[in-house]
Formats: sequence, C-alpha cells, structure tokens
Amino acid sequence: MRSSAPSARHARLRAGALALGGTLVAGVLASCGSDASDSGGGGGDVTLTVWTWDQPGEGLEAAIPAFEEEHPGITIEVENVGNPAIWDKITTGMAAGGSGLADIMNVGVDYMGNYIETFPDGFANLSELGADELAPEFPTSLFGSAQNASGEVFGIPYEVNTNVVFYRKDLFEQIGVDMDAIATWDQLLEAGIRLKEETGTFLFAMDKAASQADSANLWQILARLQGTFFFNEDGEIALSDEGSVEALDFIRRANDAGVIADIPGGWDNLMTQVKGEANTALLASASWMAGVFPENAPDLSGAWAVRRPPAMAEGGYTAASAGGTFLSIANSSPNKEAAWEFVKFSMATLEGQELVYEGAGLFPSYRPMWETEAFTAPNEYFEGELVNQLFVEALSEDTPPDYYTADYAQALKAYTDAQTQVLLSGADPEEALDGAADLLKQQTGREVAQ
Amino acid sequence: MTSTMTTTVTTTTRRRPSRRARAMLVPLAFLAPVLVLFVGFKAYPVLYALYLSFTTNEGGQQTFAGLDNYIRLASDPLFRIALKNTLQILVVQVPIMLVLAMLLAVAFNSMLLKGRGLLRVSYFVPIVMGLVAYGVLFSALLNYDNGFVNYLLTSVGLPRISWLADPFWAKVSIILALTWHYIGVNAVIYLAQLQSIPQELYEAAAVDGANRRKQFWHVTLPGLRPAIVLTVVLSTIGTLQLFDEPYVLTNGGPNNATLTIGLYLYQNAFQYFDFGYASAIGYALTLIVVVIAVGQGFVLRRRQP
Repeated sequence: MRSSAPSARHARLRAGALALGGTLVAGVLASCGSDASDSGGGGGDVTLTVWTWDQPGEGLEAAIPAFEEEHPGITIEVENVGNPAIWDKITTGMAAGGSGLADIMNVGVDYMGNYIETFPDGFANLSELGADELAPEFPTSLFGSAQNASGEVFGIPYEVNTNVVFYRKDLFEQIGVDMDAIATWDQLLEAGIRLKEETGTFLFAMDKAASQADSANLWQILARLQGTFFFNEDGEIALSDEGSVEALDFIRRANDAGVIADIPGGWDNLMTQVKGEANTALLASASWMAGVFPENAPDLSGAWAVRRPPAMAEGGYTAASAGGTFLSIANSSPNKEAAWEFVKFSMATLEGQELVYEGAGLFPSYRPMWETEAFTAPNEYFEGELVNQLFVEALSEDTPPDYYTADYAQALKAYTDAQTQVLLSGADPEEALDGAADLLKQQTGREVAQ
Repeated sequence: MTSTMTTTVTTTTRRRPSRRARAMLVPLAFLAPVLVLFVGFKAYPVLYALYLSFTTNEGGQQTFAGLDNYIRLASDPLFRIALKNTLQILVVQVPIMLVLAMLLAVAFNSMLLKGRGLLRVSYFVPIVMGLVAYGVLFSALLNYDNGFVNYLLTSVGLPRISWLADPFWAKVSIILALTWHYIGVNAVIYLAQLQSIPQELYEAAAVDGANRRKQFWHVTLPGLRPAIVLTVVLSTIGTLQLFDEPYVLTNGGPNNATLTIGLYLYQNAFQYFDFGYASAIGYALTLIVVVIAVGQGFVLRRRQP
C-alpha cells in the first residue's frame, strides 16, 4: 500500500482493508489454522502456506503444479489474504513471536526494512540457506533492500518496478503535441494547459484529499527524479529538502493551472482513468500497470502509449525506481528447507519464473528472464512498442536507491498531510514540508537533513 | 461406645473443613472457565499493555524507557488534534443521537403508529451490520460524483457536497454514520424504560390538567432518567473510543480532520510498529474515559430528586 508500485493495485482489495476491525481477530484465528497444518510436517508429507494477495498470488499458483511434481511430499497452499490486510496480519504474527505466521510471505519493499529492523528474528535468515549466491541474478538495489546491516538476506525479489508515464497519444496529437519531444515536466505542464483549454481534458488526476495512502505516488516519482526521497542515506529526514520542495511546488503549479482532476484513490477510480472515463490524458504510474491496460481498456489499444518520465530539469534523471516485492520465510516455520526450495524454484529458476510470469504478468526481478524470447516480444496493445525493453533500460539506469527506513509509514503520512494542505487550503509547499519534517523529527527522533 | 463417640467426633471435625473447602471449590469449578478466560483475555493484555507503555523497541527488543512515551505524548501535536477531533464529535454527536433516539422511542411506543414491529427492527438492524458492509454502504451514499446523497441534493437544486474530502463535511459524515449506526440501540433502551412507566401516572397527570407536552416533560422524562444516565455514559465511552467510522470512511483525513484517538493508536501500533507508544495512547485514553465517565455519573446522579 505504501510503495507507489503495488499501491494502486492493492486498492482493489479495498474491501479487504475495510475488514480491518475484524482482521486482527480473524488473522489470529486463520493463522492458528495454518499453524496446525504446518506442525504435521514431521513425518515426510509437508504442507506449506503462502500469504500473498491477488495478482502475485495468481503468479505463484501457476508455478505450483510443476514444483509439486518435482518435489513429491510437498504441498503448497496459496492464501490470498489481501493487501493491505496482509501487513496487519504479518505484524500481529511477528509481535506474537512468529506464532501463526504462514511459512512463506509476500512482502513489499516498503515494509521490508521495518520488519527486519523491528523484528530481527521474524524472518528466516536466507543467507544460511544459500541465498547469497543468488545476488548477481537480481537488481542490486532491490536485493539490498531485503538485507540487514550485516548483509544477511531476508527476502528474494519477486517483482520489480520502475516509474513510467502512460499517456493518451490520440488526445495529445489532437492539439499537435509530440510527446516524444517533451523533455521536462514543465514542458508537459504547458502542453497540459493547452490540452485543458482546447479539449477540456485534464492532464492527470490526483486524490487531493488523500483518501488513500497512494495519493503521494506522483510526488514520490517527482522527488526520485530529483534524486531525493523521504530520507537520505544517513537516515535523515529529506522530505523538506530542495528537490522535495520543487516536486511539491510542481504539483501546486499544476493545481493552480487547473489541469489536475480531483479523483479519490482506490482501484475502481484508477480504472476509470485507464478506461478513459475520467477525462484525463496522462497517468504517471509504474511498469506493472502495463499489464493492466489490455484487460481493462481493450478498446483503447493504440490510443494509450507509454514512455519514461520526463526529467524535472533538463538533463536530470529520467528513471525512478518504483519498488518491488519479496518472498520471505517465517523463522518460526518448521519447514524452512522445503519453503526455501519453493522460493528458489518460483523466483530464481527460468522454469519457475516463466510459469509465474505467464500467471500474473508482473515484471520479474530475475534478470535471466529479461533476455528470454517471450519477454522481449513487441507489445501488441501498445502498437508493437518494445515495452519490456523500455522497462529494462529504465531499471538499468544508475539512479539513487530509495531510503525507506523503519519510519517510512510516518513519513508518508506526514507528507500526505502536507500535500493536502497545499492542494486543498493553498498552503505554501515549503512551509508545509517544513512542518511535516518537524513533526517527523518529533515522532522519530531523526534529524532533518540540511 | 466411647470409641464410636470419638470416631463420630473426629469424623465430623475432619469433615467440616473438607465440606467447607468443597463448598468453596464447587462454585470455583463452575466459575473456572470464566476466570481463566478473564485472566487470559482481559487481565493479562491490560497489564501487559501497561508494561508495554513504559517500553520502546530497540533493535527488536522491548527495552524499558520509563516515562518517555508519556512525555512524548504530552507534546505530540497529532495526539492533540486527535483528542480535539474526538471531543468535538463527542459533544455534537452524543446529544443529537440521544434526543433523536428518545423521540424514536416515544414514536415506537405510540399506539397511533402502524407497523411498529417492522420499524423497530429496521432501526435496530444497523447495529448488527458488519464493518465492511457498513463502509461500502456509506462510501456509496457519500460519493461525490455519483453518491445517493449528492443525487438528492442536486435534484432539489442544491450544490454537491464533498462529503469525505472536505475537513468540515468529513466530520459531519462521521457524525451521520455514527448516529445511523447506534441510534437503534439507544431507542430500544429508551423503549424498554418507557414501557415500565406506569400508565396511572399519565392518567393522574391528565386529571390534574397536564397536556401532552407537560406529560412528556413531567412524567416521561423523569421516568426515563435511569435509561438516560446509562445511554449518556455508554455513548460517551463508545464515542471516545471511536475507530470504525473514520477507519472505513476517511482514514483519518483529509489532513487529520477526522483523526481520532482510537485511529491514532491503531496507526502507531500496526502501521508504525510502535507498540510501546500505542499502549501509552491506550492508557491516556483510558484515563480520559474514566475522568469523563466519573464526572458524568457524579453530575447526573446529583441532580436526582
């Protein structure tokens, strides 16, 4: 829910999120059940449970038959516990010393650091099982996000994402704008103002009241393009530094120019944009969204196009990471070896990865997949554009890593409130972000970067 | 003879304590399930939370931190906002809901009303409604573009209202949802009390020349007093612990306009993993509830004739 990548997709499970009041109780009850089934594993036949949510769950399901055939005696059960409900469930299990957790859990990069830091004995140390040798097969910064300070590995990357911009080629052509020629967000804003004047279409949409946590997605993209994020590498608060303020100031200028449609967050509202029903022309999102278009907006094939994000200033970064997810193993699982076999098969072999990719279409972290034929084929929906290559190129750019830290959730909340003040009450971006930084300093005891 | 005498004496003296012990044990055995559940699921968590509130998480270990969490709480601007929001909602919502519930109860009790059974049930239904259904229902009703409430407003020529995205109207939405959810329960409590007011009192008042309004004021209201005390205290405690409505409708937003103490506690525990601080918030809330509830009890009881 926190990282820009999985967040919007997660909103699909909004109903699951709403169930939270019951989640804690239900989580404990449900996990007691899975615990009982694990403990029967001593005699040879082993049943492993996997906690995940809908789309990644489909990918893992697809790899199970082949795995079970190769490993008789191991049965895999995938439980779609929903996102963001899964974080509450994992947290509750971790706080209870690991009792009731599933054997294998799907974890977002934005939660990973916090889990490793807050519950150092919660996840199994995969280095002991041989994870270190897999490091070269995965993007370095993502792999590193699941390591603790001493380099021990607690998760194997599943999907990886990079930020891209989806835009309505037909609408921009109508006003004579060549999107390939647009190099900066300021040029894009000018085009957006013309678009609004001439066609009445908004440039993009935002959840101005921040009804969902994903309302900070655009700022996260823009801040990354400035080379900054919520925290810097020393763990200091960076959300009020120069690049951060410029990012929010861009959003303010776009808002003042009247090119931002106010559309609440959540999956359904995102889909109205994808389907072209929301009167918006551009969607700044992440690579995983490319798989969402063909299914949800088949009529707009050829109208939507995708490109890398423009730079904030000429010559600046035009790539920004958008997080990813991992598979981790519970330290409390009695069947860590068997669980590791499944994680390795589904995440780090070509055979398993091809099945997973077919099942869910999520962008794989496993590098050898990037060279396979099926993967490099032109994308029919985007008129033969080599979409996956576009993503691979963006992922290969040397961009600064994201420093999430254990206090990411507080930082996201502090930022989102500042953004709401700017968009709804006309606050000054710099003052609002200074306020957010002060609040964060008070809450976390971290210093504000100078 | 003497030997039998002594045996009877010794047996009775021996039996007496064992009989007493058994007399003690039997009720205890029957109470055991309740006691075990109480200790396991009430006493232990309450005491453990108290311990947690004096600790902080350092490198995965809960370490003793003295009063740090409480000191931080005293200067936490978000806690102050949450407290202010909670009290605002309390002061506005509880009186409105209880007055409406009372009017409903009087209507439900009236012989003039047809289909009273059905109406009573339909007002009571929300209390058994699950959180998810509740959230989905109100999100659909209060949606800006195609919500039913805005449809009604625009169809009589009024402007649309941004129910969940405007700081003021978001609070109003919470109050509406809360009132809808709990009005039925309170009406049922009032109704039960109403039916225990003897009919003779109304007849006597009528003989003395009291009209309907005076009867309500001088017979019905005093008769309802025990129910009023109960509902005021219970609703106050319930609203102070408010969590469900802001969680499903606004997530505390926009810009913390509907952040309540309960929601802030949840965020600290399950989003920020700061169980120590969350426990401190929990105990601060408990303290507030106790002070207000005792104060209310004192005021309401003192006025008793």
